[in-house]
Amino acid sequence: MGDLVVEARDFEDIRLLYPRGFINAHTVRVFEGELQRTLKDGRFKIVVNCSGLSYIASAGLGAIMGSIEEIRQNGGDLRLSSLNETVRNIFEILGFNHLYRIFPTESEAIESFLSGGASL
Amino acid sequence: MRGKPALVLRVPSETRFLVLIRDVAERMAESAGFDETTAGKVALAVDEATTNVIEHAYHGASGKLVEVRIEDRGPELSIDVIDTGAMVDPRSLPRVDLTRYASERRKGGLGVHLMEKIMDSVTFRRTARRNVCRLVKRKAARG
Repeated sequence: MGDLVVEARDFEDIRLLYPRGFINAHTVRVFEGELQRTLKDGRFKIVVNCSGLSYIASAGLGAIMGSIEEIRQNGGDLRLSSLNETVRNIFEILGFNHLYRIFPTESEAIESFLSGGASL
Repeated sequence: MRGKPALVLRVPSETRFLVLIRDVAERMAESAGFDETTAGKVALAVDEATTNVIEHAYHGASGKLVEVRIEDRGPELSIDVIDTGAMVDPRSLPRVDLTRYASERRKGGLGVHLMEKIMDSVTFRRTARRNVCRLVKRKAARG
């Protein structure tokens, strides 16, 4: 299925996720599966690089919301980078920009973990 | 000003068709005069309304039909998402409180919230065994 693929890489203790395509009710299982795999691997510092994400519907936002408590309870955080205008708009409409730290670039998101920055 | 004839899509109740509905809605919104950003938001609202039908009215059953009727009425774009499934009254759902959402481990409810934020009007009604969700975006109040 070419609608969504999610690549994963590790940088030190940070898991980097690269969703490419779109996340809606059809593709959300792929994204949710990768998030669950990340938590199962004991990785709680997560950067979702959205540069390859064309849009995200509420199903994808629900997947993030559904895992954030476990992530933060384990001392981690889920941070986002490289959002296109469409995705950034959706985050702002729902006020997610007040709940999650969003960075212009992946390297800034990684640096925020390395420098010990807290979650929102 | 008279509107243009409506475009009507009838698609199976399967999530794989969401992208098709979204693409058509986006193009129709652009054709109605909305800018690219607003057209994308309108398309997302239509995606959410259709997802609600598949997941809640039809409880995920494939083989049913979802009808999407898009009409440029001149001053506004009107989109009806119609099903023949169970009656679902989204107004009965608790309002989304994002600060409590994560701790309650909820995953649903964001779609209707998103639709209401994007569109100027979102209404639900039941007529002749059909559920009709009507989404309206006025051209004078873009954004």
